[in-house]
Amino acid sequence: MDSASPNYLESRKLVKRWNGPIPAIVSLVITLAAFYITWWIFQDPRGWMRMYTPYVGYMYTRWWLIVLIWMVYLFDYWPFKKSWLNTTHPLVKGAVLTAVSFVVLYALIKGFFEGILGNYGLAYFNPDRLTQLPGITHFFAIEYAALACLMFAAIASWLSPAWIVACEEVPWRDMKQPGKGISILVMTFFLSTIVYFITMHSHMGILYDPWQYFTSIAPPYWEEFANTVSGNFHVSWIMCCTVTVWLVETIWERYPFSLIRHNGLRRFVSFFGIIAIALAMHFFFYFAQELTWGEAIRGTRRAFAPDWRWLHVGETAVFFLVPALFLTFYCDNWPRNFSLPVNVLIRTGIMAIGGILLYIVYYKTSHNFLGTQKGFSHPQQFPMIPTIWLINIWLVHHWFMDNWPAWKMVPKTAEEIEQDHERQQALVDDIRWNPSLGLGLGTGAVLGIAFYFVTVWALPLFYNAITVIE
Amino acid sequence: MSDKKEQISRRNFLKGVAMGVAGGTAVTMGLYSYSPLRKRHFPKVERKMVDIGTCKSIKVTNISETSWFENAHLMGDIKGAGGLLVNQYDYNWPPFGDGTGLGKGSYEKGIAKIKHLLPDKLEEAWDIAAANSVHPENAGGYACLIEMEDLEGKMHKYLLDSGWSYKWTDECFRRHGIDTMLKNREIEGLYISHEHFDHFWGLPVTLKYDPTIPLFIPEGFYPEGLQYIKDSGHKGPLTIVKPGLNKVTSGFATYVFAIPIICRVYGEQSMYFNVKDKGLVSVTGCCHQSIIRFAETAYREIKYENDNLYGIYGGLHISPFDDWDPKYDDLVISLGKYGFEKIGCNHCTGVLCAKKFIAAGYPVVKGTARYRSKDTAYLGNGDTISFGTEV
Repeated sequence: MDSASPNYLESRKLVKRWNGPIPAIVSLVITLAAFYITWWIFQDPRGWMRMYTPYVGYMYTRWWLIVLIWMVYLFDYWPFKKSWLNTTHPLVKGAVLTAVSFVVLYALIKGFFEGILGNYGLAYFNPDRLTQLPGITHFFAIEYAALACLMFAAIASWLSPAWIVACEEVPWRDMKQPGKGISILVMTFFLSTIVYFITMHSHMGILYDPWQYFTSIAPPYWEEFANTVSGNFHVSWIMCCTVTVWLVETIWERYPFSLIRHNGLRRFVSFFGIIAIALAMHFFFYFAQELTWGEAIRGTRRAFAPDWRWLHVGETAVFFLVPALFLTFYCDNWPRNFSLPVNVLIRTGIMAIGGILLYIVYYKTSHNFLGTQKGFSHPQQFPMIPTIWLINIWLVHHWFMDNWPAWKMVPKTAEEIEQDHERQQALVDDIRWNPSLGLGLGTGAVLGIAFYFVTVWALPLFYNAITVIE
Repeated sequence: MSDKKEQISRRNFLKGVAMGVAGGTAVTMGLYSYSPLRKRHFPKVERKMVDIGTCKSIKVTNISETSWFENAHLMGDIKGAGGLLVNQYDYNWPPFGDGTGLGKGSYEKGIAKIKHLLPDKLEEAWDIAAANSVHPENAGGYACLIEMEDLEGKMHKYLLDSGWSYKWTDECFRRHGIDTMLKNREIEGLYISHEHFDHFWGLPVTLKYDPTIPLFIPEGFYPEGLQYIKDSGHKGPLTIVKPGLNKVTSGFATYVFAIPIICRVYGEQSMYFNVKDKGLVSVTGCCHQSIIRFAETAYREIKYENDNLYGIYGGLHISPFDDWDPKYDDLVISLGKYGFEKIGCNHCTGVLCAKKFIAAGYPVVKGTARYRSKDTAYLGNGDTISFGTEV
């Protein structure tokens, strides 16, 4: 891997204030409290601002996630200086950076999407323009515009970090900020726009009567394959891409792509490998629903509708992202004492168990405290809103507040950063081809296939053995 | 030395296993999970073929399908109160208005102002409620009368739902003689499809004329709804119908779907009538479960004449607020394959959807657009539809 100057995240060392699991537990309690307070203020249908309409709250949640990614991953906290980041109290830092993220978020939605795009490009991004349509109520005008914005967000939440994680910032790797951030932002926004037109624009085109044949492809090309004309088919795999990018970046430590030594090839395979893994996830989570609830029936509503099933694939994927991020942010990516593939496999197993437990607990209990309703497929039940909201809180806590108060941030020395690189490289170098590895690889592949089919067999039995919703 | 070699070899083997397990699982997930081969894992659908008997015919009179009169007011209220997940009793809509404003109401405060007037002094109760509520003039209601002729020629009458506005519902009841039928105890039961304001909150109007009427509600009512039944002065038997198929009499069954619904409501009850020599007729309040799931459920559960899905009456909950979504197009595209011969839709089906049905060539029975119904594309207030006999 070639080198670039270390960013803030790379150059900070988080030191636990207490031993054992106490810091993780303290952080969990604090962030859950922050989640619930902010949920009540912004989202809860019984709370103050009641943005969970649901699309308005959903849109702001997703775009906030992307703004956080931009600030940290693309712009490396620019225009804030490293010296300020190193010396400012985490509470102050958290407050200032969060406030900035809110300002950027508001400017993006009101200024760019509604103001520029909605007024000079695509009318459906602007609710005021939509209200001029005969018969449409103000409520649905706002919801439709928010839906368009959040569909764009789904794509941006995949491509923005993918350019860092998979493409390793090339070709702007050695540029200074803000040039680097602007370049990557423009590139990922450009790609997001193309993907948006190919995957989501037709959904918006058939949202209006009559179908907008001449401005969008209708019926869309995916109809036969996905068994629906809904763009949720694309929301599904794109959300899986977002989740996969973060798995690669966190609990997988960029493995298995880091094993490719050629820089260009690694970046290329990483980018498309993430899509391939996401597609595998996308198809499997759909199949899992067929195994537990039965085959989807086109045209019906709720849990049996293909469009909802595809959406639920994306929702399910995010349930698995939550424990993965917790493992990285608050458990120091445990375990670390085995070889990289074994560490990754164990973490993936922990993530799978954690995701399943979270899924069950969410559907069993969330309606009691989130102001939502019980049931898998209520038309206003969007588990991605609370799960991504929690992730946003964690990102603020981990990126802006250095895991305060359970951790203390100490800047790393140049030697320590160099040692980190060497350690990382040693983990990769540890994996060299030899007959034992080959034998293990073959055996593992057979075991993996067997594991898949055992899972397929066991899933309906497991689902029938538990009662998720009374 | 050889021990060390062996150890290294074991370590490499484990590394390989870990890599292989992840790779093997991921590749199989990708290649198999959406392939046609996956269908081998689905259990074969076995039809239960439950015999609910047959009836000779049914006739449905649309007492009112206009649950509200202005979408903009209703959705404006919903938006202002915080969206579609807000508890319906908190909106401060009549009859539970307490004067505190949009989204700040509660069942307890609202009912306290009118409870003493229920069910007999409804005009006075509605005037009080209207003075304390948001958009009282927008309240309408959904109700229909089903007249079923059994094989012996005897007529059975049932009410599906009891509207919303006391004033509007009473006016509609009197227009169609429902008041007299209730007074004469001709109506055998009031079936509430679900707890929504526009189907259930007009309950005292039915009870004003017949407080002893047997009442059938789907399981899932919230405490406020159960209390309202008591507070409205119901003195007859109350049956809370469990999810699943519930046979009522020969040719008539209801089916309760345990599903969450907007505005914090849970569960919906719909009706099946098996018409001799014709087939199955579905009568619904809002059909939040979707007409296709209702039809699929019938296919799996019930034995019906000629194995034919004959007709539909009621709200199909597709675009109740003139909203749209591509998934509704999935319904419009798919409904044709179920072969319904007579579609009498209205209410939350939405005018736009009815027009799309007509454009798709489906046998939609048109209406007369009277008594504040907006369009002839579907059956409006005062219109009737029959199955197995001609009106």
